[in-house]
Amino acid sequence: MFLVSNTGFLNAHLLPGGCLKRESHLSNGFKGSVVAWLSLADSRGIFINRDGNVPVEKLRQREMKWLDMFENWEKWMSKRFKKVKERCRKGIPPSLRSRAWQYLCGSKFLMDHNTGRYEEYLRQKGDPRWIEDIKKDLHRQFPLHEMFQARGGTGTHAYTIHNPHEGYCQAQGPIAAVLLMHMPAEQAFWCLVSICEKYLPGYYSPGLEAVQLDGDVLFGLLKRSSPSIYKHLKKQRVEPMLYMTEWFMCIFSRTLPWTSVLRVWDMFFCEGVKVLFRIAIVIVRIGLPDSSVLAQCPSMYETIDKLRHIPSHLLEEGFLSTESLRLNITERDMEKEHQKQVQKRKAEREAKSKGPKKTKNKIKS
Amino acid sequence: MAAGPYNYSYIFKYIIIGDMGVGKSCLLHQFTEKKFMADCPHTIGVEFGTRIIEVSGQKIKLQIWDTAGQERFRAVTRSYYRGAAGALMVYDITRRSTYNHLSSWLTDARNLTNPNTVIFLIGNKSDLEAQRDVTYEEAKQFADENECSAKTGDNVEDAFLDTAKKIYQNIQDGSLDLNAAESGVQHKPATPRNPLNTDQTPSKEGCAC
Ligand SMILES: Nc1nc2c(ncn2[C@@H]2O[C@H](COP(=O)(O)OP(=O)(O)OP(=O)(O)O)[C@@H](O)[C@H]2O)c(=O)[nH]1
Ligand SMILES: [Mg+2]
Repeated sequence: MFLVSNTGFLNAHLLPGGCLKRESHLSNGFKGSVVAWLSLADSRGIFINRDGNVPVEKLRQREMKWLDMFENWEKWMSKRFKKVKERCRKGIPPSLRSRAWQYLCGSKFLMDHNTGRYEEYLRQKGDPRWIEDIKKDLHRQFPLHEMFQARGGTGTHAYTIHNPHEGYCQAQGPIAAVLLMHMPAEQAFWCLVSICEKYLPGYYSPGLEAVQLDGDVLFGLLKRSSPSIYKHLKKQRVEPMLYMTEWFMCIFSRTLPWTSVLRVWDMFFCEGVKVLFRIAIVIVRIGLPDSSVLAQCPSMYETIDKLRHIPSHLLEEGFLSTESLRLNITERDMEKEHQKQVQKRKAEREAKSKGPKKTKNKIKS
Repeated sequence: MAAGPYNYSYIFKYIIIGDMGVGKSCLLHQFTEKKFMADCPHTIGVEFGTRIIEVSGQKIKLQIWDTAGQERFRAVTRSYYRGAAGALMVYDITRRSTYNHLSSWLTDARNLTNPNTVIFLIGNKSDLEAQRDVTYEEAKQFADENECSAKTGDNVEDAFLDTAKKIYQNIQDGSLDLNAAESGVQHKPATPRNPLNTDQTPSKEGCAC
């Protein structure tokens, strides 16, 4: 069954003809997702199937391999994770993407062990604080669905009930939209839970501390991987939060062409936040490729403009994923940089609490 | 649009602040593109826009920072107030809560900008008269304000221009010191600063959103 049967043409490009039967979905889970699909796809004018680059025969082979992995999922994850990673990097076959994401992020497990929870959340009253924010959002671009939405006037809000402290962050909207395009609401809900709690903990909490920390980590990694860009950004005081906030918080869903979004998400579900750093570095390098481009940017505004408005043909999925894997930044580098920034913040906090000291410039060297 | 990188005498930095959904991004879009963007996505973090205007025969480039309105972004967006010459504080005339929150936005604007920053109050969505939730008169008591509509474009131009006029006036009468570190105003030389730059393509001046 297709996601949205009456708009089969939209899905057709994701679903190569003659492939394995699509997993069945509850159709009521997709009201509104058509809108999101259209707006996501429309804004970038990408209705072309770039997955078409993979020959059908090859795709079928890949599907068989994935089906085989699903059969013995735990074993693959514990014993042959490298292979799983490799296959995610190549791109998950579209017909199995939904299932693969749910297996990879453990949301299937969560859901199976929380039978009835989601329905229960939907019945509960939400915190009026969040309900207010969500209500304001209902008319907005991304459909917020029952997962976030008030039902029957009582006001319900599955995620904010699940996590009352975190509540609702508008950056979660685009993420929910991408998930809802692939799976029914309950599945999407548990995927969202997994993303917000396991993959990007603290990202959507008030204050956005975790995002700011990752901004500093990204900046530190740029220093290592692209010193001249780093120097330029530092000189113009282009803080990471000025360009990476939306990239990271929306997992690139509002930044990249649609097929690239899916490829990035395939890798992200397997490898986690590291993928976001790699992609971000690649994008920064595409946006500011050489000294002549840097010279065209006399102030921070031109620089930010270059970073935030990269022509989408430069962000093709194949190029992006190849480049991101070619970076000479290892997982260890990332972990080290992360530790470094954590320590730095801790030291700053301690210094602050000890005595009134002049606050330092936010850009770290 | 612009013939050269310095086809203007001043740069003013503006910030647009106010609750989520009041129409900040739509106002910016209307001002820079003269279009209403009905399906405008939420601002995550900050967006930028620019346009060159003319005040008293002087070309001025407005560098506009459009911030995310949701409360949890404030910890981050607060750091963007610094060095703003103008702050457009927006509420939605059809939602009283957005009006009630103005005092907290104003506190931030006062504390985080310099004393000469021009703060301009805007009641947006004036096209939705039937759903009005805040009267013109009471808002007027709070501050001199301007009701406008990002949808129809009514008064939008004025909001941005009046703010610029006030800033320009402050420069003329000397109350705004251009040499102060965070005045939010930059004076630009009439000739390109770097004549060795062989790149002939004019820098893009379009809206960044
Ligand atoms: N009728 C009417 N609707 C408007 C007007 N301005 C904005 N809107 C609508 O209000 C909604 C919010 O507009 P935005 O410009 O995105 O609001 P914002 O203040 O930037 O919101 P955040 O980025 O979340 O802080 C959109 O759905 C717009 O279509 C207006 O003047 N009239
Ligand atoms: Mg906005």
